[in-house]
Order: sequence, then structure tokens, then C-alpha cells
Amino acid sequence: MLGIQAGDPDALSQLYDRYNGILKALILRVIHNEAEADDLLQEIFMEIWNQAKNFSAQKGKPLGWMVTLARRRAIDGLRKKQAYARAEERLQNETEQQPDAWVHNATEEEILLSDTRTLIRKVIRTLPPPQQQAIDLAFFRGMSQREIAAKTNTPLGTVKTRLELGLKKIYDGLKELRDEL
Amino acid sequence: MNFSQFQNQARLYVIGALEPEELEEFEKARAKFGKKGEDFITKCYGLHEAFALSLRPAKANAAIKDRLMAMVKAKKEP
Repeated sequence: MLGIQAGDPDALSQLYDRYNGILKALILRVIHNEAEADDLLQEIFMEIWNQAKNFSAQKGKPLGWMVTLARRRAIDGLRKKQAYARAEERLQNETEQQPDAWVHNATEEEILLSDTRTLIRKVIRTLPPPQQQAIDLAFFRGMSQREIAAKTNTPLGTVKTRLELGLKKIYDGLKELRDEL
Repeated sequence: MNFSQFQNQARLYVIGALEPEELEEFEKARAKFGKKGEDFITKCYGLHEAFALSLRPAKANAAIKDRLMAMVKAKKEP
């Protein structure tokens, strides 16, 4: 990030190589359209380049900052296009069929990320399905508690409880995960 | 709002799931807890990273990087 903040295009190139797969997966999970995801990915990396001066290492890791930015842009894009219905249909078909692109010659960092991924999935899988669903709709679809309640035909208080319990479990799981790595 | 309640709300806040009326209460508590509260919110943003890492990486179209780098270099040129 220091290189990007200094205006070095090679630094952006390296950052892109390292994280484009993660950010593309996140965008795809939100908008469910390959071509739009690629366009948005390009816009997001351009924003990273333009906004790099606003990144502060004291506020967290670069990946966290990029994910926050990418998620916001993807959800904005989804809302603008009012594509909920279309995405819904694709979500059903594609959720279980995302290709695992993590099969090339892995660097040490990629292996670490892959281990992290496995552990995070393990934590998420321990949640009851209704908690997973509530978090999924809030994080990847940008839905409010009221929207989730309406969509799942569940009382608002129950949605709130599911989100609170689920997020706490994941948060606590992440603390343990950091100790393991 | 005590700190434990604040922690619950902070986790909802970082994923944008607080309702408007909760957000108002949360902002008051955030001001009350000061640095301790801000530090906790920063940690909660780790959830974003975790959710992204839970997905399998997807391959981007190869042309995207070329276009991006061309745009960056064009922007840098006087």
C-alpha cells in the first residue's frame, strides 16, 4: 500500500495479482453477473489507486479496507440496477457451483489465505442455517433487518437475535483463528 | 447502553444492518465509549475480511488488468 500511496503503478499491479480473486468473488456473490463483476472490479481497483492516501494501517489491514470498499460499491451497483429479482434466481443456481480458482502454483501467502479460508468456513458452518441466512442477506445483499424480516417472513426481533448471535460466534471464532495461525 | 450491548450493536453496524433508530442510539454510545469503542469497531471490520475470505476466489477476465494498468499509466502521464 505504501507503494501505491507513493504513486507506483507496479505496486498496484502486485496488489491486483494478489487480491483480484478474492475481490471478484465478493463482487460476484453480490451481483451474480460475470461481465458486470469484471467491470466493477476494474472500477474498484481504480478507486483503490485514487483513494490510497485515505488508507491508514492503524485502522486495519489493506485487505479489510479493500473488501469494505468493494462490498459498498457492489451493493450500490446492485441497488442502482434494481436487480434483486434477477440476482435471486442466479443465486439459487450458482451458489454451490463457484469454481475453485485456487489451484495454480500457490505462494506462501496464498497458502496462508487458503488455510484462513478453510478455518473461516468451518466457523461459519457451525452456525444454525437461519443465522447463516440472516448474515448472508445482510452482508452480501446489503439488506436491513426489516428487509430480512420481510423476505424470510420472520419477526423483526428474531432477525435481530439471529444476526447478533451469528456475528458474535463468527467474531469469537476469528479471535481463536488468529491464535491458530 | 452498556459496553456488551455496544459490542453487539457494533458488529451489526459494520455490516450496515442497524436500523435508523438503532443507529442514533449507537452513535450516542460510540461517543460515550470513545477510544475503547472505536478500537472495538475497528476490530469488527475484520468480519468483512473474513466473509470475503470465506468465498472461493474467482478468476477475473485477463483484459481487466491490462485496461486498469493502461488507465493508471495514462493518468500518471503529464
